[in-house]
Amino acid sequence: MKFARIATTTAATAALALGLAACSGSDSSDGAATSGASAPAASGPKYAGQTLTVWRLGDSNPAAQKYMDELNAAFEKESGAKVNLEWIPWPQVNDKFTAAAAGGAGPDVTEIGNDQVPLWQSQEALSPITPLLQAGDQAEIPKNLLGLETIDGEVYAVPWGAGSRAVLYRKDWFKDLGIEVPKTWDEVVAAAKKIQEKKGKDVDGFAFNGGSDANHLLAAFAWSEGGEYAVKEGDKWVGKVTDPAFKAGFATYTGLVTDGLSGKSRLTQNTVDIRKRFANDKVGMYLTAGWDLPGIEEDSKGKLKGDKLAFFPLPAKSGGEAPSFFGGNDITVWGGAKNKEMAADYVKLATNKEWAGRYASEGGLLPIYPEALAKLKDDPAQAPFAAAFAKAKAFPADPNWTEANETKAVLQNAARSVIEGKATADEALAKANGEIEEILNQ
Amino acid sequence: MTNTSTVARGGGASPAPGRRRHAPQRPAKARGLSPRAVPYVLLAPGLLVIAGLLLYPLGQMIVISFQKVGIPQINGKKPATWEGWDNYTRVLDNEIFWSSLRNTLVFAAVTVALTLVLGTAVGTLLNRLSKKMSTFVVIGIMSAWAVPPVAQGVIWRWLFDADAGMINWALNLLPDGLSELLFGRSDWTGEPWLNDAFTIYLVLIVCVLWSSFPFVAVSVLAGLKGIPAELYEAARVDGATPWRIFRKITFPLLKPVFSVLTILSIIWDFKVFSQLYVLMGGPTNREAFNLSIFSFAEAFRSPPKMGVGAAIAVILTLILLVVTAVYIRQIVKTEDLR
Repeated sequence: MKFARIATTTAATAALALGLAACSGSDSSDGAATSGASAPAASGPKYAGQTLTVWRLGDSNPAAQKYMDELNAAFEKESGAKVNLEWIPWPQVNDKFTAAAAGGAGPDVTEIGNDQVPLWQSQEALSPITPLLQAGDQAEIPKNLLGLETIDGEVYAVPWGAGSRAVLYRKDWFKDLGIEVPKTWDEVVAAAKKIQEKKGKDVDGFAFNGGSDANHLLAAFAWSEGGEYAVKEGDKWVGKVTDPAFKAGFATYTGLVTDGLSGKSRLTQNTVDIRKRFANDKVGMYLTAGWDLPGIEEDSKGKLKGDKLAFFPLPAKSGGEAPSFFGGNDITVWGGAKNKEMAADYVKLATNKEWAGRYASEGGLLPIYPEALAKLKDDPAQAPFAAAFAKAKAFPADPNWTEANETKAVLQNAARSVIEGKATADEALAKANGEIEEILNQ
Repeated sequence: MTNTSTVARGGGASPAPGRRRHAPQRPAKARGLSPRAVPYVLLAPGLLVIAGLLLYPLGQMIVISFQKVGIPQINGKKPATWEGWDNYTRVLDNEIFWSSLRNTLVFAAVTVALTLVLGTAVGTLLNRLSKKMSTFVVIGIMSAWAVPPVAQGVIWRWLFDADAGMINWALNLLPDGLSELLFGRSDWTGEPWLNDAFTIYLVLIVCVLWSSFPFVAVSVLAGLKGIPAELYEAARVDGATPWRIFRKITFPLLKPVFSVLTILSIIWDFKVFSQLYVLMGGPTNREAFNLSIFSFAEAFRSPPKMGVGAAIAVILTLILLVVTAVYIRQIVKTEDLR
């Protein structure tokens, strides 16, 4: 039995070793913060020799990289500090923020989605930067753009660029197949069917989004019918997803799959997954914004760009244009920043008229300064977004929204159970309604 | 396994050969340790490591499971507050907990059984192969065992991909009649395997089975090598069938090996995480959660609720402890594990 002994001993050792796997969290001490103010001003730039870590969200692409290189060079020239830039893909943003806030290596300055500000403020991960918005260019930012950023009278982030969504479509396919740009939802459905007929069964005519950012798509359908996710009555959130209006939008949403416009094997894909499939000729239309274009050009090895792609505003089933999610990217000082003054200076530079303007125009977003936005209406490429922006709406402004939206993916799971025939829309939405209330009111 | 001999040597009437050789006055033991303490001193470093790396985190986990711990508590901006049994009631009231529990238990039961059966079958086969062939097969199957869990998940995810996967392609190659007869359908184009909890678990079982049976097979082979050939000769002379030989000779003699392999498989299959995470494409599909993923999703996805996550982990640990304790008791009772 010698071998058996050896085998069992080995096995037991292996078991022990597995049991020992423990994760180590590192305690960061930010006590070593060096004060920028005390740096001798006489010996050149203010922050000479210091480094600033900046997180940009999304996948890097040549246009965005060029913008960041130039912005960082400008900051280095002005302040003498070196900028260390990191790109965080969108689907990982919340996990990276969690790790950074829990004491890991975090940024000094970070880009942040405007709807994420309430969550990370509630986790005490952001620093108030109210004075920054009271002087210079930033004082001209319209106050109605600061709705999500203002909490208890303090501002926690500066809008950098605004985003509204429209339908990105393959202009070259539409031309080949003789499809007109859809003006109604029925025309969208017809166009999607025709694309699938000619381009293959595994092509999504209009891609279904059931991943972490699915509510951008669902919201457009639900809002266009007059539905809401939840409404604050007194100091309590009341779920509204069982209302007939929301249900009508939800039916359009699940119908993307049940009517066959999008493959039933991809129920959990998010915008990044869809974008990759789009770049590989597997998607005809999907709801997104201009910031996807550089990534598509890169993923398709330069084949998909320019006049092969175009946008149109999403038509509402009930007529007119569907309201779009009022999205936007902010930039802010991270609560754990080593040198908050230096970080604030960077934010100040990045959001002035010149750099915020370039951020929006080069990144496919809408500018935050009113005069720049006014100019857009004449630009044919930007007109669909400007139109959608006029009707933009936001999700329930509550720190717990992210949990319902992404972490628990409440409505994504409801949609999947309806699509797979495990529950009726009424059952699934009733369950989702209870859960949304529970999460928002916790 | 060698308990009895250790006890006899370490404790009780120590023969202490030193005493006989040296004069009794010699202060050899005065500043040294008593022989009783020696084993404990020798065990101390190992125990310290285990205490530091295993017991302390385990204790912390239990403490946290009674607290509210989020980011402000971790980075020290707010103190952790005691919640009593709140985290546990929250978990038990959550229907995802019950579906996760069901998934965990059914998956472990099925996979442990299949792993042991397939592993034993392959182990016995290996024993009958020629040396060269046996080495060849062992190297082959062990490379499956050596694949890291995340890579296993990725491999099987691609094989079962709805549009580009080999499985749907191969099923489509079957003659229509045969496919109709076996599965009641002949068109497998775009069949989504990784949407539904049931099919996700089918794929997961295949994936985990594929990567864990080689270890069982090789352990069984090692055990088989230790069984004297005379026993088999005698049985054959008496005209026993191969099945009878397995039942009456191989199985009883390999029982200790099976016991250990079963416990290990139970522990491993209860804790499956990476493969499921990859197959599901992240923690979105909540019906397909098992307890490990559920615990992870509560504890680490934003906003982190470490207390609730820890409570789930404690429950998972307790279930594992009960299962293994019952099993070990069974073994000790029948004195299998010598």
